[in-house]
Amino acid sequence: MASAKDATAPNESLANDDIGLDRRLELFRLQVEIRDCEKRAFDLFLQNLIKGTSHLSIGQEAVAAGFGVAMRKGDKSFCTYRGHAHTLARGASMEGMLGELMLRDIGLMRGKGGSMHLTSVEHGVLGSYAIIGAHLPIACGSAWRAQYLGEKDVSVCFFGDGTTNIGAFHEALNFAAVWKLPVVFVCENNLYMEYTPISEVTAVKHPAADRAAAYGLERIVVDGNDADVVYRIALAALEMARNGGGPSLIECLTYRHSGHSRADPAKYRPPGELEEWLKRDPVVIYRERLREFGVKQETIDAVEAESKRKVEAATEACKASPQAPVELLTADVYADGGWAWRN
Amino acid sequence: MTSTIIMPQLGETVAEGKVLAWFKSIGDEIREGDNLFEVETDKVTIEVQAVVAGRLSEIRVGVGATAKVGEVVAVIGGDMTAKAPVRTEARAARASQWRSPFEEVSTPTEKFGSSKGPNGVRITPLARRLISEHGIDVARLSADVARRGATKVDEAAVRAALAERPSEPATPSVVIAPPPKPADSPPPEGAVISLNAVRLRTGERLAENWRTIPHVFQAIEVDFTRVDRVRKSRKADFQATHGFSLTFLPFIARATCLAISAYPQINARFSGATLILSRDIHLGIAVDLNHNGLVAPVVREAGELTAIGLAKAIRRQTEKAKAGKLSADDLSGGTYTISNNGAFGTTLTTPIINAPQVGILSTDAIGLKPAVVSTPEGDFLAPRMIGIVGQSFDHRAFDGAYSAAFLSRLKLILETRNWDEEFPSDR
Amino acid sequence: MAELTYRDAVARGIAQEMERDERVVFLGEDIGKAGGVFKTTVGLYEKFGPRRVRDTPISEQAILGAAMGAAMTGLRPIAEIMFADFLAVCFDYVANEMSKLRYMSNGQLACPLVIRTGNGGGVRFGAQHSQAVENWTMMIPGVKVVAPSSPVDVIGLMAAAVRDPDPVIFHEHKALYAIKGEVPDGEILDKLGTAKILRPGRDCTIVALALMVPRALAAAEILRQEHGVDAEVIDVRSLVPLDTQTILASVAKTGRLFTVEENPRLCGWGAEIVSIVADEAFWDLDGPIVRITTPHIPLPAADHLEDLALPSASRIVDKVHRVLNG
Repeated sequence: MASAKDATAPNESLANDDIGLDRRLELFRLQVEIRDCEKRAFDLFLQNLIKGTSHLSIGQEAVAAGFGVAMRKGDKSFCTYRGHAHTLARGASMEGMLGELMLRDIGLMRGKGGSMHLTSVEHGVLGSYAIIGAHLPIACGSAWRAQYLGEKDVSVCFFGDGTTNIGAFHEALNFAAVWKLPVVFVCENNLYMEYTPISEVTAVKHPAADRAAAYGLERIVVDGNDADVVYRIALAALEMARNGGGPSLIECLTYRHSGHSRADPAKYRPPGELEEWLKRDPVVIYRERLREFGVKQETIDAVEAESKRKVEAATEACKASPQAPVELLTADVYADGGWAWRN
Repeated sequence: MTSTIIMPQLGETVAEGKVLAWFKSIGDEIREGDNLFEVETDKVTIEVQAVVAGRLSEIRVGVGATAKVGEVVAVIGGDMTAKAPVRTEARAARASQWRSPFEEVSTPTEKFGSSKGPNGVRITPLARRLISEHGIDVARLSADVARRGATKVDEAAVRAALAERPSEPATPSVVIAPPPKPADSPPPEGAVISLNAVRLRTGERLAENWRTIPHVFQAIEVDFTRVDRVRKSRKADFQATHGFSLTFLPFIARATCLAISAYPQINARFSGATLILSRDIHLGIAVDLNHNGLVAPVVREAGELTAIGLAKAIRRQTEKAKAGKLSADDLSGGTYTISNNGAFGTTLTTPIINAPQVGILSTDAIGLKPAVVSTPEGDFLAPRMIGIVGQSFDHRAFDGAYSAAFLSRLKLILETRNWDEEFPSDR
Repeated sequence: MAELTYRDAVARGIAQEMERDERVVFLGEDIGKAGGVFKTTVGLYEKFGPRRVRDTPISEQAILGAAMGAAMTGLRPIAEIMFADFLAVCFDYVANEMSKLRYMSNGQLACPLVIRTGNGGGVRFGAQHSQAVENWTMMIPGVKVVAPSSPVDVIGLMAAAVRDPDPVIFHEHKALYAIKGEVPDGEILDKLGTAKILRPGRDCTIVALALMVPRALAAAEILRQEHGVDAEVIDVRSLVPLDTQTILASVAKTGRLFTVEENPRLCGWGAEIVSIVADEAFWDLDGPIVRITTPHIPLPAADHLEDLALPSASRIVDKVHRVLNG
């Protein structure tokens, strides 16, 4: 594994700053692995090995990685159907994630939930939610539990710009603010809901940040494509929550490279917009930053090679995996493992 | 380099294997050829060796869990960080044994006749079931109901019809193995014959008796020539006087009662660990209801009756049985039973005892057979009327010697009794 | 033994469970300091304090969502939705979230919570505050549904619901809050999925729920005295899990089935029971199965009209008697 020892930093103060090289390598590794894994998901979908639908996070890796590194083990995350990146960023395996997308037995939920409901309790991923806004109050509940039991974990809730216009968003923010809950709300503003630009349907410019004041919260907008920026704001928000300071609402500006879902070629984007944002590709930005810090090319290459190797291994493992046994059809409707509604 | 360990193919028809044990743990260095895990299939239990070397980085299928052939069970040389949870038990199999997902509600499979009577009167589902179970004449009932001006045959109408019967053909209290059913036309290949409730209950009782009573069967060959001589000589008179035919059965019944008086344990019933001998003989006689089942109505105080008396009593009960007019009294209280199977020419039948009785007699066809007759002049072959009489007995009540002695006595009575004395002397 | 009102039984049931288990918490609108708009939770705030008994904003989605998040991570919350009609406001959590969580996560996540709500009419609140909506919740796979008809059942079923590891929707009946009933001392624990034969009989089976139970009992008495009909009355109590065996055994005995349902007719809870009986117990039926229901209309506020709409004891008597003699 690469470490700070491998780097020769021309600028010592940069290398020894608040983030540090070790953590930066971790941030880089996560973004690269998320990117590679999501691209593989794209291909598998074309090969019809991934069925149904899939909402990719290509271009939005920095938000997931920044928070993933900032969060502690024990912190709880809740995300939307665009949750592959967030699931990987908390440490779930590629074959668990890809396997779930491929609806195989090796998947995180053995194919029971599918792409939109990725869950890995051991990594703190307490569900991915397909109904817009549903998980915001749920994150509040998790935070309420921490507050009630005096536990020190923070609940982090990821959602898109479209969520800011649904009722549950407003209920959850008010609720969290009034009860001063240890929850962090993270809005990934990628400028589009499904096919409609968010600006056309929202009364304010920044769909999340411009609503914060309504709930007595600070207005926070950050560059969501810079993992260092995300990491820093994440750490601050987590610490505030952990110390009883209450909730925050963070708007991360980012962009998705592909359509809303695999079915969407995203022709609604104005010409040139994608190209502009590709210049702000978070992986490209971060690779450059590592070089600026003097991290050797071999080190960078090793991370990227390892990522590709892991993706290959995961793909093979998933392809080799059977689908779940048919008994799972009626398993786990109720706590007893079954589905009996009558005697 | 990462290698996956898969569940190997362990036999042509084997599709999956259960992991019984892991011999290595995560983090162990594996050499080629090391025993990795033990797997059980429905044919064999074997150990699986490693075919590559490296560090065991992941176990996907834990002890007790099952994997299909070809499924990845472990990884060598892979990433050591936490992966998807290891499956350690077939939880899914436990989950849905309650019902099939497509059988949440159990539709009954029995059918109980048409929803309309022959005259078009509607019949409720419950009424249809009761009509079938009690063998009620649906045409007559529907006609009666229509005549009364009612619009449907319901439970009340059925109960009323049942009440009007002189006696209820309740389920038989004596259960005997049903004779083979000679069908007019054999049922088509694979036809499904539903058993009605009567048959089902009878079957349950049969099974229970067979299961709980240690049956032993003994048979003895009886020479019915003398009986037959008397029978033939009295036959015409008997028919003229009583209106029905004189068969071997009343003679056998008479002989049985006489033999029982010498061997009273035959005529007993169990009560816990004691055998209660019955003073009276209430003789059950198996009656074939035209191949629609068997009942065994009881002739009470059979020991007091002569052969003629027995003939008449047996006849009365048989007629009642065939008309469906047996009462509960008719079917209960038997202390011993005779199963008369001769009508179709069979040689031997081993009947099932009807608890709480401890024995049951079987008789089969009586016909001319070559036999050795001993005379003072010597032994000669002669055609004689021969039939086999057998007894299934409860070995807890008495043993073979006793039963054999009883049968021997019965044979003696049948072969040597002056049967003419059973009949009125004046002709 | 004591005589307790249904509303006091609610408070007692919740208190019993909160005393027993530190993880049991309670949230809802006006439930704490005010003791509940129906005075069903009086005394809980004083006894357990603001940490465990929390007043919320008017945010039904947040109430259920927060209950769910807390349940998923270790607490055993009771959430109040003031009027059962409001379940429609937060129905996503019932229909899509808490009910499907365990299944979609392949058993990784659980949701042991209770939603208690004021259900049903007869209190002149008008169409949006009076509907009986147990059937809305009955049809969602993954939840459990109970609707007690007496104070002792309130306590026992509340305890069973709180202790159940699955999400349970607890329909209290607003028109029953004032009724009184005998309640034994000490801890009371009942069992979900069990119906009760409140009045044995031979001539017909009448299955009822919540407010319709006392009406069915009253009807059974009149049927016996005035028409010589001996009706068996069953309080279903639990819609999911459903105690079909008790109902099927009763129909096997009587051959006739009637349901008395407060919900508007279409897709009412009784329709499912009738379907099961017509299937499994077909050969026990001596006549058509009849559902006695509120007509399929919104409920009027006017008292004389509302009383016409909900099945009354006399309407039950009339229908049963006419059908049995037809």
